[in-house]
Amino acid sequence: METTSFLPVLILISSLVPGLMILLLREEQVALRTSLNLFGAVAKVGLVAWAFVGYVRGEAYDFIFSLAPDLTFALRLDKLGLLFAALSSVLWLITTLYAIGYLEKGPHQNRFFAFFSLCVTASTGIALSGNVITFFIFYEFLTLSTYPLVVHKGTDEAVAAGRTYLWYTIGGGTVLFLGVVGLYVVAGPIYFGQTEIIAGLISEFPTQLTILFFLILAGLGVKAAIFPLHGWLPISMVAPAPVSALLHAVAVVKAGAFGIVRLVYDVFGVGVAEEMNYLAVLAVFAAFTIIYGSVRALYQNDFKKRLAFSTVSQISYIALGVAIPGALSSTGAIVHLVHQGIMKITMFFAAGNVAETYGYKKISELNGIGRRMPLTMGAFTIAVFGMIGLPPVAGFISKWYLGLGAVEAGSYWVILVLLASSAMNAAYFLPIVYRAWFCEPEHEVVPRLRSGRFETQVLLLIPVVVTAILSLAAGVFAAVAGSPLSIARDIAEKLYLL
Amino acid sequence: MIWFLTIVLPLLAAVITPFIPAGRRGSGLVFVAATLPALWLGLVEVSGVSAQWFLLGSYFSLDTPRRIILLLTVILWATAGLFADSYLKDDARRGEFAFYFGVTMAGNFGLLISAEVTAFYTFFALMTFASYGLVIHSRTPDARRAARIYLVMAIIGELFLITALYLAVQSAGSFLLADIPPALAEASNGRFIFLLGLIGFGVKVGAIPLYFWLPLAHPAAPAPASAVLSGAMIKAGLVGWMHLAPVGLVEWPSISLLMVSLGFAAALGAAIYGLTQVDPKTNLAYSSISQMGVMTVFLGIGLYGGIPAALLLPAIALYAFNHGTAKALLFMGTALPAKVGGSWRILMWVGLGLGVLAIAGGPLTGGLWTKYLVKTFLGETSLPGAQTFLLLLTLSAVTTTLLLSRFLHLLSRIKAPSGNVAPAFLLPWILLLLAGGWWTMSPALLPVELLNHILGEKGILAFFLNMLTNWGALWPITIGVVIMAFTLQVTSLNWWPTKNPLLPPGDFIHIILLVGDRVAKLFRKGISLLESGMKSLHSPEKIFYRISDSKRTSQISASAESLLRRWEFVGIGFFIFFLTLFLFLR
Repeated sequence: METTSFLPVLILISSLVPGLMILLLREEQVALRTSLNLFGAVAKVGLVAWAFVGYVRGEAYDFIFSLAPDLTFALRLDKLGLLFAALSSVLWLITTLYAIGYLEKGPHQNRFFAFFSLCVTASTGIALSGNVITFFIFYEFLTLSTYPLVVHKGTDEAVAAGRTYLWYTIGGGTVLFLGVVGLYVVAGPIYFGQTEIIAGLISEFPTQLTILFFLILAGLGVKAAIFPLHGWLPISMVAPAPVSALLHAVAVVKAGAFGIVRLVYDVFGVGVAEEMNYLAVLAVFAAFTIIYGSVRALYQNDFKKRLAFSTVSQISYIALGVAIPGALSSTGAIVHLVHQGIMKITMFFAAGNVAETYGYKKISELNGIGRRMPLTMGAFTIAVFGMIGLPPVAGFISKWYLGLGAVEAGSYWVILVLLASSAMNAAYFLPIVYRAWFCEPEHEVVPRLRSGRFETQVLLLIPVVVTAILSLAAGVFAAVAGSPLSIARDIAEKLYLL
Repeated sequence: MIWFLTIVLPLLAAVITPFIPAGRRGSGLVFVAATLPALWLGLVEVSGVSAQWFLLGSYFSLDTPRRIILLLTVILWATAGLFADSYLKDDARRGEFAFYFGVTMAGNFGLLISAEVTAFYTFFALMTFASYGLVIHSRTPDARRAARIYLVMAIIGELFLITALYLAVQSAGSFLLADIPPALAEASNGRFIFLLGLIGFGVKVGAIPLYFWLPLAHPAAPAPASAVLSGAMIKAGLVGWMHLAPVGLVEWPSISLLMVSLGFAAALGAAIYGLTQVDPKTNLAYSSISQMGVMTVFLGIGLYGGIPAALLLPAIALYAFNHGTAKALLFMGTALPAKVGGSWRILMWVGLGLGVLAIAGGPLTGGLWTKYLVKTFLGETSLPGAQTFLLLLTLSAVTTTLLLSRFLHLLSRIKAPSGNVAPAFLLPWILLLLAGGWWTMSPALLPVELLNHILGEKGILAFFLNMLTNWGALWPITIGVVIMAFTLQVTSLNWWPTKNPLLPPGDFIHIILLVGDRVAKLFRKGISLLESGMKSLHSPEKIFYRISDSKRTSQISASAESLLRRWEFVGIGFFIFFLTLFLFLR
């Protein structure tokens, strides 16, 4: 394997360098900071798009750097990685806009935007990693770069949440480290996609490899918030809205889920994972998490907390799709990586807008908010219908494939899990929609905390509208070539050699 | 193009009409314009199109039964749009109403023209959820309650439906709706899938035992919305059933008997229960359940085998057409008696009377013809007890007449305004009367082979003017009217409630809610017990803090640290660690 292109490195640098440069700026250099941010974000989207086009044309982008004999830092573009990179770069651009509007004149913006960029560098790094070691490096990098974002507000609550976050993620990282090192010892360096290595060793080292699989899974499960490792996620809700949005849609949680996809599909291989019953265990945990997260969400009155527990539940759809063998459910899992991201980010933007414009953080305060913020709540409503799995929003496509996959595999119990989850999604999201549109506000006149020509500041409004349109478009135009679904279908079909 | 306009124009209308300033009219014309593409599709045969870019790749086309129902739907939405325009002229929420009205209309048209599963499900869901906004329109506590029950039932229906579709698509190996009935006929779990669909769509149809939301929700909406709910949207469930039912391909006696008996139970039971009501709209809602029962019977006959789908399904659609137009006429008619005065009232009563006759199957109406269709197929089927069912059908004509003459009586108690006045919405109502009347009298919509099958040599005119058939249709209605008139006149027999309904509308939902409340209380108690138990336990991260924050741990860790700094300990420790690792991994 040799270096054929520096494009993957460029993609990383496009956010790494602005991030480091922002650290050196003075707090009042707003214009420079903003332009650096936006330049990085736009450049990254452009580069990823370029890579995508090149990849489709059949070009290979590999970047190999030898750290030690047999230990290489490898960046490599494949379809799955590109899909994730595209998701993070596009949502990063949108969230950067949102964050610029959101923080406005708040303190410590340099720190915030610097780590914000580093965080995205880490998540694109995860997307582009070509082997297990590189993946691990970026995975840990992500942990460290998100901590300052979680504690950004600096309140006692935020610091406490940050500590919990570190306990979980560092703990998870340690377990992952054990697993990765163990895997290296047993199987040598593994590039993603070389599933034949494990397949050849499984009969020789069944116990060891099983232990390693579950060690790695546990390490990834912390970030993917799989029960019982989800405790940090709802607590990290104290972070500012753009951070929560990014955390829940692309960065941390999604990195864990993406890792699980890689682990099963590109390291151990579906064949081994199915044969050794790893998938059955994963399916049980995922299904339980889906139900558990939904039940917990029902009892939250805090807007963002309800969204957080919903994430716990929704992310496990990905794990569940991975755990059901078959091309249809794989398609569902991979496409949900994207769909969950755009829908959940819409919801967090909306929650942030409401909290910033009127100071409402509790669901019980949301009566009649729809009339005051029609675009924000309209976007939120679209995302809600997607989460429930109603067409034509993106979430329907994910659930449709997961359901068909379950039927194809004969796992009918999965259908019951999906139905229960849909019913509970409706039960905890529709009351918000109901309050927003069909209840009378308690006070006729409420002071606005943010000015702006429209229902709120323009920079807060555009992102939520754009992501809602994306969620809708991903569903309505699912069959069009280039849609998330078409890419996911390609990946899954290749995986199952259809 | 016209297929897409059918869906897009109502959506556009939904977005535009809320911006029409208060006090101005014009939304009605916008809605009428939005129905034109659908009207074209209903009248002129257009070949289907594929839309590979939509959802998972969609197809749009129509067959005869769905064309008949599309025509019904178009007529109702157009007249209801005009009606609502002036009816809700001074309503504060007319903009919101127009939005939900337009979106619901788009869903209703879309589901009828979809020939593929995901598109059908999409528009079905769109219609279901958008019509929530119509039900809750008045925002009264009753409307909110009705809307909540409606929503819960709708979601339950959707869940059954999506399961049925997952399984159906899997066994058909295709997303085309037309491939589903043959696949269900072949598949070993075909009956199970059909039952799931029977429940899923049954919620919308108002089949026993899933109907109880209907007498609450349909009357809660404003009159024009009730009209489309009970006239057009209720038929969406029927269309769903027709998509799944392998009529003519299978012999499923158990399911057939189940549907026929549930259908007759609804036809008779709902009509009798409806008699206890005092709100004319609730009365009509029960009549809808009763009539949908007859259509359930109709479809049930088809699953017994022996009758080809090409004959049965258009006949069911025509029955739906007749009921839909007449029911919408009556629902919108409930708004008239308080506003229409003087000689206009004669016209009003004639129209309402015709509507009642059409539903009850009276002479010279479309009802006569559609009831005759049911009788013909009941006569042909080998279903055991078909003769009893024929008798029950006649009996249901009597109960329906009772129910609807009671409805007329309830309307007649509303105080008329003085003078020769007519509201602007009388005009769309008359248009509906004409449109409904003309089409129901003209079974020209039906395919030729069906007409030949039913009529044999004689023409349609000869059938309508036949004394015998008309006389046969008249006597059950006469009985109903006489009973009603007699009980109203004779004081000792007049037990009809006047102020409050004898029994609550929505019947056994009250029992469900009572039981549900008890269960929920128990459940909540359990949860709170669990929570208090959880609180006394430490969450995992708290245990971590306990370790990291306590003095003792810091002392222990300090001494452990100094121990670790001694090189021999480190050396031995590492040696043992690697030895174990080596032995373990060897």
